[in-house]
Amino acid sequence: MLEMFEYEFMQRAFIAGLFIATLASISGTFVVLRRYSLISETLAHSALVGVAVGLVAGYNPLWVAVVVSLLGAWLIEYLRSAFSLYSDAVLSILLSGSLALAVIIVSLGGAFNNSLFSYLFGSILSVSDEDVRAIIIFGSFSLIFLLLFSKELYFIAYDEEVAQTSGIKVKFLNFLLVSVVAVIIALSIRVVGSLLIGALMVIPTVASLQYRMGFRNTMLLSLFFALLSVVAGMSLSYYFSLPSGATIVLCVIALFVISLMANKK
Amino acid sequence: MQLKFRVPIFDVKNLEFKVRGQDILSNISFEIYHGEYIAIIGPNGGGKTTLIRLLLGLETPTSGEIKIFGKKLKNFKEWSKIGYVPQRASLVDANFPATVEDIVKMGRVAKRGFFAGISKEDKEKVIDAMQKMDILHLKDKMVGTLSGGQRQRVMIARALASSPEILILDEPNTGVDVKSQQRFYTLLRKLNKEENITILFITHDIGVIADDIGRLFTINRKATICNDPKKILSCEEMSELYGIEAHLIHNHKHEH
Repeated sequence: MLEMFEYEFMQRAFIAGLFIATLASISGTFVVLRRYSLISETLAHSALVGVAVGLVAGYNPLWVAVVVSLLGAWLIEYLRSAFSLYSDAVLSILLSGSLALAVIIVSLGGAFNNSLFSYLFGSILSVSDEDVRAIIIFGSFSLIFLLLFSKELYFIAYDEEVAQTSGIKVKFLNFLLVSVVAVIIALSIRVVGSLLIGALMVIPTVASLQYRMGFRNTMLLSLFFALLSVVAGMSLSYYFSLPSGATIVLCVIALFVISLMANKK
Repeated sequence: MQLKFRVPIFDVKNLEFKVRGQDILSNISFEIYHGEYIAIIGPNGGGKTTLIRLLLGLETPTSGEIKIFGKKLKNFKEWSKIGYVPQRASLVDANFPATVEDIVKMGRVAKRGFFAGISKEDKEKVIDAMQKMDILHLKDKMVGTLSGGQRQRVMIARALASSPEILILDEPNTGVDVKSQQRFYTLLRKLNKEENITILFITHDIGVIADDIGRLFTINRKATICNDPKKILSCEEMSELYGIEAHLIHNHKHEH
């Protein structure tokens, strides 16, 4: 059973995967509670523009993805506030816009090949030492922010205006939250893929919400679901030669369905 | 009479608020002093909620000035002195993952500094606020499962947990049954008298509150402030406001 850990690439994939599961589920709790789930999909597509630029220009796609995903997050917030557009419409425009841009860049640069495919759907085989380093460095900063401000972010998710009138710096924390989500998504695309990362961010929380528990327990259960899906998904992917991202997502969906059934009224 | 020499909690001068050139509120001036018990009434769309939002800095006035504890609103930092319970407070999303204690604890969040955990004082204040609102026995219950009246007390406990000097409530009885409403006003009055918390609230229940209020603001684009007990009794604007004969009894001699 544990023979897979004899391979270095599996060790790397597990370190990256477990770290990403932690980041995605904790940040996902706030994103879901704020009814902002779609932002993860949109930023995943913005990150893809970064991947495209990286592939064509010969930089590490992951680092460029982090930068472009951040720019995408800030553009969304700017468009929302400066033009008072509907949030979901802005997200939808940026989602297709980014994907279109990524495809054009890649096709102009002649880089339409397997390596792009691995960023779309994730590939545990392709996680490099440098990727793991990037995930640990950026991921640690993101995790520290999330844990440090979890009570403030929870209050904002509950009622933004009441939080503001209590003296919480709502705008600043919102800005930091979308920035952190952008970074986490960019980091995740290696393992889960940009088309699938939204699921790992949103579904563990939605599944744990079915148990109707308080904040702390909901977040812990969501973390457990995310970790379990990554472990199960990667193991299945190794033993049955399945694509890692898709297997992880199907595992988390299975947990969601079980949660839904178990709590049916 | 000594109140006159103290800094008012709110000092509002010539407040005006327009949306796309249309007057929502105009020429509003008043002061609110420590220990007061004030009700705001007025027809729907008359600007009551807007006034409260302006006081809380959630909207920016077109002109005029708001001072809080003597400071200009934009320079005011001690927001934990002000407890706010919005209109929709008792209509919480049933799926929101929060126990009663989770919600009341939020009242302490803005008070603690960066990097600070929950202190002993925080815990005590949270328990104290739940006790005052008689919800301590519900502390581990999910907020979504409570009745309207219980939820309302949770929201006020949250506001109380930050040890505010003033509580501002926007139609706190939305979604609450009549029996709980009566109990609620008794609680509110108790907070005002025993805890010396200033209370400002929007209401439609003129009959219920009439016995108790210190001052009455009627808001319909403009404000009419009934300071004088005798004036409240014959407050002509009341009948103008609602098109009915209004009888309000004033019991408390107000020092102002």
